[in-house]
Amino acid sequence: MPGTDTSVAAVRPAAVSTINAPVVALAGIGKRYGRMLAVDDVSLKVERGQLYGLIGADGAGKSSLMKMVAGVLAHDCGTVEVFGVRIDSERAAERVKARLGFMPQGLGLNLYPELSVEENIDFFARLRQVSAAELAPRKQQLLEMTRLAAFRTRAAKNLSGGMKQKLGLVCTLIHAPELIVLDEPTTGVDPVSRRDFWAILAQLIDAQRLTALVSTAYLDEASRFDRLALMHVGRVLAEGEPAELVAAAGLRVAQVQAEPAALAQLAAHFAQTEQTAGAGRVVVTADDDESAAAAVRAALGSDQHPVPKIVITPPDLEDLFVARLQALDGAATTRPAPDADGRFKPNRNQRPAPASERGSAPPSEYNGGTHAIDAQSLTRDFGGFRAVDRASFIVRYGEIFGLLGANGAGKTTAIKMLTGILPPSAGIGRVAGADMRQAGQAIKERIGYMSQAFSLYTDLTVMENLLLFAGVYGLTREQARSRAQWAVALGDLHGHEREPAGRLPMGLRQRLALGCALLHQPRVLFLDEPTSGVDPIGRRRFWGALRRLAREQGVAILLTTHYMAEADLCDRIALMFAGRVVADATPAQLKAELTAERGQLLEVSAEPPLAALAALRAGGFAEAVLHGRRLHVLAHDAAEAGTRIDTALAAAGLAAARITSQTLTMEDVFIHRVLALEAAALARAAA
Amino acid sequence: MSGLSRFARGAGRWLRQVAALVGKEWRQLLRDTALVGFVVFIFTLDILIAAGAPELDLRSAPIGLIDRDGSVASRELAGRLRAPYFDVRAVADDEAQVARQLERGQLRAVLTIPHDFERAFVRGETAQVQLVVEAADSNLGYLVASYTERILATLAAEYSLARTAVVLPEVQLQARYRFNPALTEAWYATISELLTMITVASILLPAAAMVREKERGTIEQLLVSPLSPLQIVLAKVVAMAGVVLVGSTVAVGLVMHGLLGVPFAGSPLLFFSLVALYAMTASGLGVVAATFARSSGQVGLIVLLLVMPITMLSGTWNLRESMPGWLQVAIDLSPLRYFVDITYGVLLKGADLAAVAKPAALMVMLGLAFLALGTARFRRQFR
Repeated sequence: MPGTDTSVAAVRPAAVSTINAPVVALAGIGKRYGRMLAVDDVSLKVERGQLYGLIGADGAGKSSLMKMVAGVLAHDCGTVEVFGVRIDSERAAERVKARLGFMPQGLGLNLYPELSVEENIDFFARLRQVSAAELAPRKQQLLEMTRLAAFRTRAAKNLSGGMKQKLGLVCTLIHAPELIVLDEPTTGVDPVSRRDFWAILAQLIDAQRLTALVSTAYLDEASRFDRLALMHVGRVLAEGEPAELVAAAGLRVAQVQAEPAALAQLAAHFAQTEQTAGAGRVVVTADDDESAAAAVRAALGSDQHPVPKIVITPPDLEDLFVARLQALDGAATTRPAPDADGRFKPNRNQRPAPASERGSAPPSEYNGGTHAIDAQSLTRDFGGFRAVDRASFIVRYGEIFGLLGANGAGKTTAIKMLTGILPPSAGIGRVAGADMRQAGQAIKERIGYMSQAFSLYTDLTVMENLLLFAGVYGLTREQARSRAQWAVALGDLHGHEREPAGRLPMGLRQRLALGCALLHQPRVLFLDEPTSGVDPIGRRRFWGALRRLAREQGVAILLTTHYMAEADLCDRIALMFAGRVVADATPAQLKAELTAERGQLLEVSAEPPLAALAALRAGGFAEAVLHGRRLHVLAHDAAEAGTRIDTALAAAGLAAARITSQTLTMEDVFIHRVLALEAAALARAAA
Repeated sequence: MSGLSRFARGAGRWLRQVAALVGKEWRQLLRDTALVGFVVFIFTLDILIAAGAPELDLRSAPIGLIDRDGSVASRELAGRLRAPYFDVRAVADDEAQVARQLERGQLRAVLTIPHDFERAFVRGETAQVQLVVEAADSNLGYLVASYTERILATLAAEYSLARTAVVLPEVQLQARYRFNPALTEAWYATISELLTMITVASILLPAAAMVREKERGTIEQLLVSPLSPLQIVLAKVVAMAGVVLVGSTVAVGLVMHGLLGVPFAGSPLLFFSLVALYAMTASGLGVVAATFARSSGQVGLIVLLLVMPITMLSGTWNLRESMPGWLQVAIDLSPLRYFVDITYGVLLKGADLAAVAKPAALMVMLGLAFLALGTARFRRQFR
């Protein structure tokens, strides 16, 4: 892996013919909006031919940085050089604009929704004064690479999220820029379309000899970049090649199987621990595997029966990011560090809710029994389009239930029917034992809901929002005050009470929204993509709070997420496809099913990855996929597959690969399931 | 626990929920600088401007005079076309040039006095003068013509009286202008403007607030909470009617009564109670409008479409009696039509509750209908 970016650059004639100056060079740049420092002393270089990643949560400063590079936002201090031109005036920015393409954040925001795919492309081409002779072949090539050629006449507004982003990319590339700046092209796009987008981008960078500066909020996409910068509140926390960063971090991950009591002990010793049933995952500061294992054993104590099983693996970038953030948090003593298992730290004045308060009675009181949510053939039509098609599933009290699916699979519509916002066209949704079609006020008091977009009042302060929703739920003044204090403690919002909600960073906003949804102590909680755009620490704290609600207070939680790593944390998962529930099981079961069906996951490191991918597909691994710079294949027999992989690579004149066995992730499960379903749907349509 | 106390507790809770929403609306409005500026403007400066601007009298209308007679009588006539109504200017006797001046708006009218004007006049024959009026603004054109006509008639009467020396029977009109003895334009104009602005604010503010909730998605959070559509709609209506009430108090008490001396003949309590009722009625219309709109831009246009006919047809700016029959029916559906009667009645005529009971009752009925429609549509728009 190390050094791959330089080798990629070296084989490109474009890189040889130009001076070896970096395409983008930023030195000490800063940007301030009023009192807020958006970008703080950032320096970095993007070399020709690189796929450079800016990674961070909302509010990290990625968009501001990209706009400054694209010449649409002036910087306050420092220097910005693009193609060796110092961008210090409008005129200087104009000089480089012809050579770069910029795609702003937001699904299809740079497109004209009423225009067709082709009209959008033609418009951007005219804007960039591309001659008709140049346009025709380029358009054809780009449409084919993005597989949009079949949709030329479709209006942009009728494209799926993933297709919109691909069209956005085509429009950005239509004037053959040398540098493209893409601001969160994969945010809000489902995992299948996301993987597709990255594969296309890798091909384009290779075929068009591009340099790309791309931002993302998904840390698991980090391994796709040649080089990256981890950003947090305007600053760069770490910068370098992904593999180098991980290697230099001095961290190891220990997967521990032990008694729950022993696992709980780990939480006291290590800042980053996660627990799932019977297993723990701990991030250890150690320079080699042996000392890491020793540290874990020491923390567990020597008197464990049975002897805990410890597997040491390298950390991923998220572990590194969280470790850096925790170091920052520790340095700034104003904010308490999260509890060892990522929980919200219990506050001194936070008491457990008194049993006398409403809604804290045990679940069995409700006539719905243990079924908090019972969806029976829920169906919803919008005109001729069936958004949800006979979806059935059950969520029990104390369970965290994940609803997964691509964009448009029907997740949000299902939640809206279960919360009583939308009436179903057919079927029944029971929540806390009551039919939501006739949901009275009593039943609504048992439901908490956090919608996809931030749905609190941004012009009201934190405390005003809390008191408003306390009032909406009919609490008396005294009840409202005590519950609001509870929510502030829950969300670790101390010191922010009088700040307008709109000015809070994403993570705090989401915790405020959770607090608002929990003020009335609901028994059933609906969360629609609650953590999108939240930084990793914020996400872990959020999950800590969710787990506690489910385990300690028996709240049933139904949530949707695009983060596949979060899907692993759910007790149970329903996978939705085209409005139907196509799988409903625990994550472990889903992974076991895939293993039984398709074999284990092998990760192939071969250079160059695109050529290797082509070789593998030709050599019988039709379903090989690009994952970052590595390839993933599924095979029942690892040894036999290894021989076939080496044969396929050798046939293409490539060097032998390094093959490692990996554990399946929910993302693998999701992508294989969805691709199989898509293939089946296509076959049905063809028949 | 008795049924009554349970009901009281339920009602208390119901009201607490509405109160929480009303408080939220006020806070949000106060933090929206642009909206606060708009509200302050329409209830203060705008009323002041209305007091000064719309003169329905003729003032200094530029009149061109072509005097071909050059006689005593013609000069006498020219002398009577005087300030403050007219601004008489001698113009060249050149048809093309005069036409150009009329076109450019430099002259409102041109009066041509022919050669034998005085002779005909003195002999008691029919004397002819020509008045060419620029009637692009038909109202103004009509005023110029009628003022000139009246002056000519008086002049002719005086001449004929002097010539015949016969005493003719005479009728003298003794007009007493009740409720506005000096016919002060500002009274009427500011009240009309106030009525328009109350209507605009009452419809626009709740409609904008409602659509903003839809745009930002905050409405979903309210939909899943134990609030009835009526509570959500009522909170908007009450909150914005409150804002309009405060605005009207400032406009009537401070600007109109205090600064401009518009009389306040009736009971303030009665008047402001009726303002609140009217504001709630119009707010109901705003809520209905909001259920048809998906964005702020759309709601702005819908409100514009509502306010125009409501004010045009209310009798604020023109007489109901002079409209065609089918329009008069439509007018009965405009809440402003009733509030116009109420406002003039209470402010200028000192009407008491009994005098305005009928329009008030009709207005409230209309308001209840809007509220019912808005509440029914509120839930349906999300299905």
